[in-house]
Amino acid sequence: MRETKMHFMPTLKTITFAVGMAVGSMAGASELPAMGEDASPWNVDVTYENHTARRESAGLAKFRNTLQAEFDKKGGDGWGVHGILRGSWDGVYRMNSSEYGKKAGGAIDLQSTTPAGLMAVPYGSGLGHTAISGALQAKGMPAAVAANNTFVDAYPNSPNSGMRVLGDRWHKIDGGVGFGVPVRPCDVDRRGCRDFGGYGDQRLSELESPEFNDRLDFIRELYAKKTFNLASGKDLFIKVGKQQVVWGRTDLFRVLDVINPVDYSRNNIYDELSDIRIPMWIAQAEYRMGASETMQDRNFQIVWNFDKFRANNLGQCGSPNSILDAGCFFRGMANLWDNGGTVANFANVAPGTLLATNFGPGQIGLNKVHLPEWSFANTQLGMKYEGVTQDGLSFSLNALTYRSQLPSLHGGQRATNSFTGESRGAWPYLISFDMHFPRVNLIGGSMDFQLPGVGAAVRLEGAFTDGEEFANTAKPELYSKNRVFRSVIGVDRPTFIPFISETSATLISGQLFYQHIFDHEWERGALGPVGMPDWKDSYIGTLLIKGFLKNGQVSPQVIFAHDFKARATTVAPQVEWNIGNDLKLTFGANYKLANGRDRWNFDDCRACNPFAPFTAPDGDADPLSSYSRGLAGMEPLGRFRAGPIGAAFKENDVFIKLNYKF
Amino acid sequence: MNKSAIYLLPFLAAGFVGAAQAATEADVENSFNPYKAGMPGFAGLTAGSVINKGNVEQFKEVLGAGVYRLIKDGLFEMKVGATTQFAINKAYVDATKANLNKTKLGDKPGELNGYVAGRPFPEEPDVKDPRAGEKLAWNYKYGVNWGDGAIISPFYWKYRNMQSGQVEKTIKYDFHFLNFMHRTKDAPIPEIKPNPSGIFRAIYVKAHEPQDLKNTQLLIQRFEDDNKLDDAYLYLGFQRRVRRLAQGQVTDSFLGSDLMIEDFEGYNGRVSDMKWTFKGTRNVMLPLWNHNELKLASDMPAEADGFKYVDFGGQGKCFHEGTWQLRKVYVLEAAPVNPNHPVSKRVFYMDAQLGNLNGANEIYDRKGELWKVFMVGKSQADNHLPVNKGAGIGIDDAFSMVDLQSKHCTTGQFKGQVDPKRNPPALFQVQNLRGGD
Repeated sequence: MRETKMHFMPTLKTITFAVGMAVGSMAGASELPAMGEDASPWNVDVTYENHTARRESAGLAKFRNTLQAEFDKKGGDGWGVHGILRGSWDGVYRMNSSEYGKKAGGAIDLQSTTPAGLMAVPYGSGLGHTAISGALQAKGMPAAVAANNTFVDAYPNSPNSGMRVLGDRWHKIDGGVGFGVPVRPCDVDRRGCRDFGGYGDQRLSELESPEFNDRLDFIRELYAKKTFNLASGKDLFIKVGKQQVVWGRTDLFRVLDVINPVDYSRNNIYDELSDIRIPMWIAQAEYRMGASETMQDRNFQIVWNFDKFRANNLGQCGSPNSILDAGCFFRGMANLWDNGGTVANFANVAPGTLLATNFGPGQIGLNKVHLPEWSFANTQLGMKYEGVTQDGLSFSLNALTYRSQLPSLHGGQRATNSFTGESRGAWPYLISFDMHFPRVNLIGGSMDFQLPGVGAAVRLEGAFTDGEEFANTAKPELYSKNRVFRSVIGVDRPTFIPFISETSATLISGQLFYQHIFDHEWERGALGPVGMPDWKDSYIGTLLIKGFLKNGQVSPQVIFAHDFKARATTVAPQVEWNIGNDLKLTFGANYKLANGRDRWNFDDCRACNPFAPFTAPDGDADPLSSYSRGLAGMEPLGRFRAGPIGAAFKENDVFIKLNYKF
Repeated sequence: MNKSAIYLLPFLAAGFVGAAQAATEADVENSFNPYKAGMPGFAGLTAGSVINKGNVEQFKEVLGAGVYRLIKDGLFEMKVGATTQFAINKAYVDATKANLNKTKLGDKPGELNGYVAGRPFPEEPDVKDPRAGEKLAWNYKYGVNWGDGAIISPFYWKYRNMQSGQVEKTIKYDFHFLNFMHRTKDAPIPEIKPNPSGIFRAIYVKAHEPQDLKNTQLLIQRFEDDNKLDDAYLYLGFQRRVRRLAQGQVTDSFLGSDLMIEDFEGYNGRVSDMKWTFKGTRNVMLPLWNHNELKLASDMPAEADGFKYVDFGGQGKCFHEGTWQLRKVYVLEAAPVNPNHPVSKRVFYMDAQLGNLNGANEIYDRKGELWKVFMVGKSQADNHLPVNKGAGIGIDDAFSMVDLQSKHCTTGQFKGQVDPKRNPPALFQVQNLRGGD
């Protein structure tokens, strides 16, 4: 899996020198004015939120109750402490247990394609050891050799229960690849459970209350900060602890704002980023130089993320928010590796015939997850120079070296040949994967300025990365490293729209995101396109219209987001009602539209022929060579073409939120 | 008159006006002490009396049109106090004298030449001078206002339903003001350097309460070059990101209140954004008092130093309960240059002594109907907090912004402190917004 569309997500956004300067200049600090950091008592705010959502076709999709305490204290010496404790309990797993809890899933049918049409095949009833042994013998293989095949006739250790067909939340099998995915919490059904980076192996209690884990996520933020006034008139700002560091100027999707990973399991891409960034243990230092003779403001920031690596939380399969349905793909693949499973429409035994096939364990799927351990080399370092020019142009120059927060699947790994029983350390083009989180280097920048002629503020952001990895069926390892350029232009314009309000301006904010993948590979194979499912150039547009009525007590808004290449749109209207200082009600909906679903199909590597010649497509001219011929379906790579909007196009929600401050 | 003479008329007029503009030290004295010859008076108006719905017609002549309407509608009763001196600090007065007649208007509105420090045009305005309004606007821009810098900490704003009296929202802010240029009293004088953009003045605002606005911060930088647009930045605590504000957002409701950013301090915009017209000199009631002599609020959070806030009363508790006094004012009208501006006209009753614009402002909507009345009450500095003693400014002490159309108001209770130590220039940089929580 690669970064592509996943980067365009949510919601819908020389330390030695600096420290040397600080230490060397601090002697006169006590004579300089304070920044107003008088000592203060503890200031604590406690809030409660209930977020309830109902999803079309799934029923209750959220009944989350969150209690949050935010506390601050300033010390007399200028140090300040800030913390946020957050705990939640989502009742959806008990209140809608047949969809998301202990009773989720059931027995499933997979599929075979025949000249007579598509046929349902119960899980476990595909071509198995016996049938394939017979077929091999029919082609002249000695019986003793044919019997070495490692397909299976049944799955006594992985029964047909508690499963769903991969992708059934957003598409039918429809002649493509399909396999079963266990969907119950991991204390109920361990099949396919792995720690994919904070999700994937969670018990029911952890799904219900995700903050109470071994990373102590209930301590959402806890840091100390201080501004040292240097004798030179400059300042050194230090902030150390569990925190969010926000770069960039965009809303909804992220370009530069990639220091903290993001928890998409909380509400997909539809919560404020500040609520779903995963705070990390970070030390940051800002050398605030202030104005010079040519610049109005100058700052140099070093950010050292010394926390143990964390990935984006893409949502465990079987939970309501599994962005891109990725958690299900991973769990299904892990289950295939561990237990084997029936794969729909796989064996191309005759023209127009693709039969469901019973793979055994250790042949295809996802084996190891290489989560980076804590080591100094695995920490992440960023630098930013931010300033304001004489003419008022705000800008930043950013550089970051980090571990990708999105997984990359390296294929062609070790496996057992399903037909011969031979084990090898590598099988080029085989859909046998390990999960990695590669190191990525980013350079970028941002700026904003006013356009007086149209009364608007303009935001620009761009980033170039080296090291990201993308699915690529043209490569024997089924992935490639590609450099990527991402950018966004945003325009904010307050506009008086009389029918909304004659006294308050309505904010209109539009953004256009662009992504270009360098050295993009895409070629037409014998059976269809081969290469990278991600679009070489992709565009997402967002539009926010937000009004303010009754002195801001009532605020209607609508957000549109459209993925131009995926041809998928989301429309999210909501009304926020502030009832006094302490109570707020928000109700709204989230609807998706998609009319480009055929465009999402992509090479699924059924015709990659890793176990040549046995896996060569029927009638193939070069049955001894392993490479993809381009047979396509929606799974597994269509999700990258559909993007987070398209892959969720059936997840239409209505919701109500209540916030109360005690 | 022959044709040549007609052509010469503008030059003659300009010469006349120019001659009339040459200010003297006596003009300066008169400007800063308009009551040298005695306090103004009006028949029936005595300290301790009350102007209310029943007797308002008797005092219509000394009331701003907006304030008259509020009293006539029975929305509040005005307590009358004696006219008192609000002496301006010596440094500012001295700067005015030292730079007398150095300041000239440029050819176009928004252009000013030769200004150094102090009150640029201390001479008495003349209704015959077509640019008298503009000169008063410059006097305001470079007025003593909060001095070279001050803070309001805390500063409570309440959003109130004027009909029911319900307090819909209470916001606790800190406001900071700092003059980067033309400083006269607090070091460094005359300006804070380096300042390559030519920032004249900056305002930094931080919200502490309620929870949904916590850590919201606003920074406004106004430039010496009046034709340069203000830079404004907003840090939204819930987004943790600084957003540059588009120009239009300074004429939008500020965080849901009845004020727009342009309303701050009476008028918070560029001289060149308005067409200014001087309408004449009058004696008008303005809310000016001695804080320590008022009956103060008992329903506000306690301050460690014992400071108490001005109380509110009247309809919906929308009106500060301080006393009003008869003041010499310059009536000034400002019409936005931008035809899309939500306001068609602002009327100010500029206090002649203080040079402030915010005592009894009228704000008219695009249809020309009275929309809001903004009343900022000031305390004499020596009768306020000890830190303000000798500040030589009028300390903003309470405000009422009354929206007559929506029957709504926003009130403000200040704890103003003239304390240069709490206003380091770094506080007024964009990066300061990002470096918080």
